[in-house]
Amino acid sequence: MIKRTLCFGAILATLLSSSCIKDAPLSPEADLDSFIVDQADLTGAVFIDEANSRVQLYLKQNAFEKGIVPRVVPIPGSTVEPAYGDTLKFDQVTGEGLTSYKITSQDGNYHKTYTVSVVTIGVWAWDFEQWRVQEPNKYMYTVEDNATVIWSSGNPGIALSGVQADPKQYPLRDTTEPYHGQYCAVLETRAGTTLSAFVGIRLFAGNFFLGVFDSRFALSNPLASTQFGQPYRGRPKSFSGYYKYQPGPVYQDKAGKPVAGATDSCSMYAVLYGGTTRLDGTNIQTSDRIIAVAKLPDGGAKATYTRFNLPFIFLKDIEPQMMLAIVMSSSYKGDLYEGAIGSRLLVDSLQIIR
Amino acid sequence: MMRYISKIFITLTLIGAASDLLAQNSTSTFKPFLEHRILAGFNFGATAPMGFPNTIRAIDGYWPEFSPTLGYELSVRASQKWGAAIGVKLDFKGMGIKDEVQYFHTIITVQDGSSTGTFEGTFTGKNKTIARNAYVTFPISAVFTPNNNWRFSLGGYMAWKFSANFHGTVSDGYIRNGGPTGEKVIVDEATFDFSSEVRNFDVGFQGGAERRVGKKLSVLGNLAWGVRPIFPSDFQGLDFPLYNVFLMLGVSYKI
Repeated sequence: MIKRTLCFGAILATLLSSSCIKDAPLSPEADLDSFIVDQADLTGAVFIDEANSRVQLYLKQNAFEKGIVPRVVPIPGSTVEPAYGDTLKFDQVTGEGLTSYKITSQDGNYHKTYTVSVVTIGVWAWDFEQWRVQEPNKYMYTVEDNATVIWSSGNPGIALSGVQADPKQYPLRDTTEPYHGQYCAVLETRAGTTLSAFVGIRLFAGNFFLGVFDSRFALSNPLASTQFGQPYRGRPKSFSGYYKYQPGPVYQDKAGKPVAGATDSCSMYAVLYGGTTRLDGTNIQTSDRIIAVAKLPDGGAKATYTRFNLPFIFLKDIEPQMMLAIVMSSSYKGDLYEGAIGSRLLVDSLQIIR
Repeated sequence: MMRYISKIFITLTLIGAASDLLAQNSTSTFKPFLEHRILAGFNFGATAPMGFPNTIRAIDGYWPEFSPTLGYELSVRASQKWGAAIGVKLDFKGMGIKDEVQYFHTIITVQDGSSTGTFEGTFTGKNKTIARNAYVTFPISAVFTPNNNWRFSLGGYMAWKFSANFHGTVSDGYIRNGGPTGEKVIVDEATFDFSSEVRNFDVGFQGGAERRVGKKLSVLGNLAWGVRPIFPSDFQGLDFPLYNVFLMLGVSYKI
C-alpha cells in the first residue's frame, strides 16, 4: 500500500510517469495471422473467418488431385498445432477432408481451433432451406447442403454494435413465408443502436450477398467489410428468382431525419467480374474489373411473390479467373445508411442461369 | 467507511483538545470561539487507479481540466491549539489523459428502447479520456493551530455529485469481439461516454496545511483522497476501479 501510495505521489508530482508502468502482459490472443497457399492452386483468395474460426479455400481442379501444402502462420507469440508441412487433400464433390489447427496464446490461457474447409459450389441455385444460429452472437446464416457457407450478410458487423443476442434483432434471418419449400430469406431494415450511432450509423439496411464478411473493417470502413463474390467459371445468361417487398413507412436520411415524400425501394443485382480477390461495398458497382451486370430495374413494392429474370449485360468478354456476386438489400441506399425502418424484402429460389 | 472516518476525526479532536486543556488549565483563561472562512482555489489531480494495471502500457499525456473550487468553512477553536472544522464546497474535479493500452477488457451495456445490448471485447491501442465531475463536498476536520501563522487539518469528506463527465475516444488500434480470441476489428477512432455511470456519492480522507500571508488571508493546500471507486461495481467499461485523488491549491479568507 505504501509503495502504491508513493508511486501515485510520483504521478501527482510529475504529472507524467513511466516509472509506474508494469511489465507488458503476455499476449492472451490466439489467432491465425495468415494461411498461405500457392496462388496457382486457388480460384479465389483464401478467407480467414476469425468470427467463426474457419479457413475457406477455393481450389482449382489440379489442387484437388495433388493436394495443397499450406503455410499456417499464427499471430506473434502464439503457437500452432499440428505443425504444418503436411499435404492436405480435399474431396472435389463434397469439399470434405476437414483439417483443424489449434492455436494457443503466448500466456497459455486461450485457445482457438480453426477448421479448414473447401468451398465448392455445384449448382448455382438456392432455396435457402438450411439456416444456422451463430454463437455467441445469435445471428442467422444460411448453409449449403454440404454445410459450407457461401452466403453472408451484414449480421456479423451488427453483432459488434451491442444488439441483443437474439436472431430477431438482426436484419437478415429465415422466415416461414417461402415461395418454395419451408423457408426463405428475409431482409429487414432496422434501427441502429446507441453504439452504432457513435460511428454515425443510425440504420441497418437488411443485406444478403454471395461472399464473405471481413470483420476487420466493420467499424473503420463498414462498406469494405462486405466482400462480394464467389469463384465462377463460364458465361452466365441471367439471374432469376422470386421476391416480395414492402417499404417501411418513414424514409430517413443518414442523420436519422425523416424525408418527406420519399419511399424506400429494394435493390437486387448480380455482378460478374475478373480476378480472384473480392470487390466490396466501395467498388462493386464502379470497378473496371466488372465484366457483366444483371440488375433489377425497379425496386418498388410487391405485395405477392413476383418472379424476376434479369439478363446479364456484358461490358467485356469473360476471363479464365472470375468471381460472381449476388447482392440484395431491403433499402436501395442502405450503403449510405439511408432508408425506411421496417422495409422488408423476401427472396427465394434464386438461380444463375447459364 | 464514513463511520470509520468520523471515529478517527472525533478521536483526534478529543485527544487534542483534552491534552491542550490539561496543559493550559493552570495558566490561561482561554475561551472557545468560532471562525468563518471563505475558501477558493483549483483542484489538481486525477481520477485514477491505485497502481497501474499491466494493461496500461504508456502515459502519453496528462493535463488538469479547469477545476475551480469555492466553499465556506466553519471552525471552532476548542483550545489554544486544537479545534474542529466543517465546511461546504462546490468542487470540480477534472483531468485529461492520453494513454496506450494493450488487451484492455471492456464491457459496454446499452439500452435501446426495450432491449438491452452488450458489447464485450479487449482493446489494444490509444485512449484519450476526459473526466470532469462536480460535487458538493462536506469536509470535516480536526484542526491543529501551532502558532499564528500555520494551521493544519486532517479528516474526511463526503461528496454528492451534481454533474458528471467521463468521456473520450479510442483510436489507432483494434478490439477483439468478446475477448482475446474474438475476431479482430480495426478501430480508427470511436468515442465512448460513461458519464451517466458515475456514482452519485464519493467519500474519502482529506488533509491540508494553511499559511497566513496577510491579516486575514492565507494560502492553503488540501489533499482529498477518495476511497470509493467513482463507478459502481457492476460497471465493467473499465476493468479496474478509479478513485478521485485531487490536491486543492488556493486561498482562505477569514471573515
